[in-house]
Amino acid sequence: MRTAQTRRWYLIPGLVFLLSIDLVPLVYSLGVSLFNWWLVRPQEIRFLGIGNYLTLAADPAFRRSVVVTCAFTFGSVLVELLAGLALALLFAQPFRFLRPIRAILLLPLFVVPVVGATMWRLILHPDMGVLNYYLGLLGLGQPAWLGEPTLAMVAIILVDAWRTIPFMFLVIHAGLETLPSELYEAAKVDGASWFQSFRYITVPLLTYIMLLAVLIRGMDAFREFDIIFVLTGGGPGTATETIQLLNYRVFGLGHMGIANAVGIVTLALVAVMCFLLIRAVLKPR
Amino acid sequence: MNRMSGVHGESRGKLRARGGIVVGLVLALLAVGLPAWAQTKTLNLSMLAGFKEDVLRANLPEFEKRTGIKVVVDSAPLGELYKKQLLSLSTGARHDVLFMDEPWVPALAEFLLPLDERAKGIDMPDFIPTTVAAGSYDGKQYALPVDPNVQILIYRKDLLEQKGLKQPTTWDELLKAAKALHDPAKQQYGFAFTAGTDPQTPLYMTLLLWSYGAELVDSRGRAGVNNEAGKKGAEMFMELLKVAPPNVKNYTFADVNKALQLGQAAMAIQWASGAKPLEDPSKSSVAGKLGYAVPPKGTRNAPMRGVWNIAIAKNTPNQEAAWEFARWLSSKEFGLASTKYPSAISAIHSARISVLQDPSTKAALPYVDALLTSLRVAKGRPRLKEYPDIQEHMRITCSRLTAGELSLDAALKEMDAGINKILGK
Amino acid sequence: MRLRRFLTVLALIPVLAWTLFPIYWILTASFKTELSLYAKPPQWLFSPILENYKRVLFNIPFFQYLSNSLLIALGTTGGSLVLGTLAAYGFSRIKFWGSEALRFLVLVTRMVPRMTLVVPYYLMMLKIGMLDTYTGLVIAYVSFAMPFSIWLLIGFFDEVPIEVEEAAMVDGCTPLGTLIRVVIPIAAPGLAVAAIFAFLVSWNEFLFALILSGPASKTLPVVIAGLTTDLGPLYGEMSAAAVMVMLPNILMTVILQRYVVRGLTLGAVKG
Repeated sequence: MRTAQTRRWYLIPGLVFLLSIDLVPLVYSLGVSLFNWWLVRPQEIRFLGIGNYLTLAADPAFRRSVVVTCAFTFGSVLVELLAGLALALLFAQPFRFLRPIRAILLLPLFVVPVVGATMWRLILHPDMGVLNYYLGLLGLGQPAWLGEPTLAMVAIILVDAWRTIPFMFLVIHAGLETLPSELYEAAKVDGASWFQSFRYITVPLLTYIMLLAVLIRGMDAFREFDIIFVLTGGGPGTATETIQLLNYRVFGLGHMGIANAVGIVTLALVAVMCFLLIRAVLKPR
Repeated sequence: MNRMSGVHGESRGKLRARGGIVVGLVLALLAVGLPAWAQTKTLNLSMLAGFKEDVLRANLPEFEKRTGIKVVVDSAPLGELYKKQLLSLSTGARHDVLFMDEPWVPALAEFLLPLDERAKGIDMPDFIPTTVAAGSYDGKQYALPVDPNVQILIYRKDLLEQKGLKQPTTWDELLKAAKALHDPAKQQYGFAFTAGTDPQTPLYMTLLLWSYGAELVDSRGRAGVNNEAGKKGAEMFMELLKVAPPNVKNYTFADVNKALQLGQAAMAIQWASGAKPLEDPSKSSVAGKLGYAVPPKGTRNAPMRGVWNIAIAKNTPNQEAAWEFARWLSSKEFGLASTKYPSAISAIHSARISVLQDPSTKAALPYVDALLTSLRVAKGRPRLKEYPDIQEHMRITCSRLTAGELSLDAALKEMDAGINKILGK
Repeated sequence: MRLRRFLTVLALIPVLAWTLFPIYWILTASFKTELSLYAKPPQWLFSPILENYKRVLFNIPFFQYLSNSLLIALGTTGGSLVLGTLAAYGFSRIKFWGSEALRFLVLVTRMVPRMTLVVPYYLMMLKIGMLDTYTGLVIAYVSFAMPFSIWLLIGFFDEVPIEVEEAAMVDGCTPLGTLIRVVIPIAAPGLAVAAIFAFLVSWNEFLFALILSGPASKTLPVVIAGLTTDLGPLYGEMSAAAVMVMLPNILMTVILQRYVVRGLTLGAVKG
């Protein structure tokens, strides 16, 4: 069909742009990761092949960072998906007063991440922070939010959730809004309960949106940097040092070869994660 | 399609082209008859964002008026500055002059212009000698000192007096005093410092290691931490944790100040530049109650030196203009002007003895005597290209030590092993 | 119904408290002196000072940085919407061999850490002379925002039944015209979300702005990061700057959020 042909052209500007902007740096990164390149001693560049990758695989700090990153990603995406979904469902109700409130809920998205994290750090500060002040008044003790490994992980997930739940909410909400109301009405006529219509109408139609949200969120959580850096700097010890924080350290010292290897490994891990996710959700369709 | 940036980019490009032609014509005309001062040169400066930038900007118009050189300030926050300068210098992107911290000089030296010849024309003896060493590497001078900093001891005169204690001069004395003043129930703590992932932590550890005679890198170029002296220093570090605020493992450089300002800490070791806000009544409840001194010794006094310098990029096309700027920035007049700058947060101290001993400086910076004395015995970090890596390694290891991931002995071993690995030994 | 309403309100209270508290804290911090920020008990009510705002607005060329951020963000939104819509429409309407793989490939940029991409970008921009320009940053940001936009819009375009388009074309509409006049309005919520997302990506981005921009194109996040001085964050100024940075975002969202709701009424098209 002629129209199908014309439409194929539409793909071109976007894809050409994207692929040229993205693939070139990617190939460059891959190339650099095969060398031993330290910016401070540029004359000593040597070809290593997969040398950098072997170093990483053998490095306990790197292996640990992979574990930490997976834990953070899983935790935050789970929390954010559930909360976002719950909120979106809450807002699916036809109450007028919900409209203005929705805009308010989106506010955390507008706070520059560094500022949000800095403020949270202040709030969570064990001696000088507001949270512990009130917890202390209530007799709940003064947990060292950022000073203890498990609590620190909870804290960064918490702050990340604060920032990102509005996004999940927005995306799922937009998806819900386009669901045709006739389907629900028909179901009601047929005597379906709220839960049944949720299960058999909402969930299948929302699957794509939720998958997309989880995908995007997962990829971003895996690469999250700002919030963790400001809140804990990777601490205490190396309890919250994710792959990106490690990358930052290495990069900051000019070790381009290893840093790019870390980048490529991240790419590989995320690609696998996405691929599995997409397979798992879209296949059964 | 991409209307916004397309048109914008296009018109900007056209503007640039037109602008270039105009400037070219003007310069050609000027070059014919008028004196050199009518030609405007532009310098690209890589600067530390924050109050040092403010002080600089406040005084730039003076410089521009006098020399006709325009300075474009490209500032970056502390955590990113080294990275940006490294990237810029190694790829040949243009910064003409760079405001850099002394540990970076060895690493960046090969991209910098040696200044030895030119330095002969300025009053070098007026600089405190150790600050000049901060800008040299491998026998050549690559940068001039602008803003010297050093670790000093800050203590609450009133609290020590109350308990009849004198200002501590050794670490043991400090520990004793801190224990006497440590009262967690009243939120009073003996000694504040950082013990977590903050970049200051390895500097505190290094101060202690040095104080007992250990070296990060010994005279043979190998790690010198894992020995008797190093162990004493590390042990003292762990002892100090017990008389510190409970959250010291998550402290940043700023939190140490906060602890002092809020009256929670009786003593602290801090960079001199951090002391200024402590005397500001609108920020600090302890203004006027503080005393300043050289940090305590173990077997020797070894406060850490940290000098900010101005360097010139090797590939700059504007060498003369860049030198003018570097000269001005390290000059006596800028030094005096900057101490007068009404910033209650920080200061630029000037490395010139004439400035530091000037009465107006003493009035503006109450800690200047401690600064001078400390500078005279200050110790610089190893002048190696690998130093930033070493400091990073120390930071992670110290943080793991205090988090309980490593025992003291394991930590010392790890420090040595890491340093040797970095040095390729 | 009554009960539902009551429960909804009840559920919303902790949600709003949790969402708004840090923002309230930032707002109040912008009007407080630093010392009172640490006061115990924490001060909820106090007499505000304007020092922080004054310092942010007048010590640095704040308005220039604001307009930099704004122009770059608008450019990003426009660019990613246009390119993204076209690409998404193409993906949605034509299934050709390799389209699945291509779609997956589009996501690849989001899989690489920003830090890793920054140096090659820097070198690319250096070579073509776009360092410290708006265009350079817009190009980078559009490439960040597009993958999500494309995937999101594919989903929304898939929901628009082909019959509607065919009906329009029978009426004499060109394919492009159909896209613009028929499909887009139906998928409006998706476009609104994509626009908001692109705007935010650009507005809040720090790393690339830090490395790729210079004095002429410095954006607000870099400025704000600079407020974390070597002596710690200047909470007052940082909060003041953050508040001012929030305002255009809020404005834009208020404008766009109407479109997110539109879908409800237009959903009646299906049938």
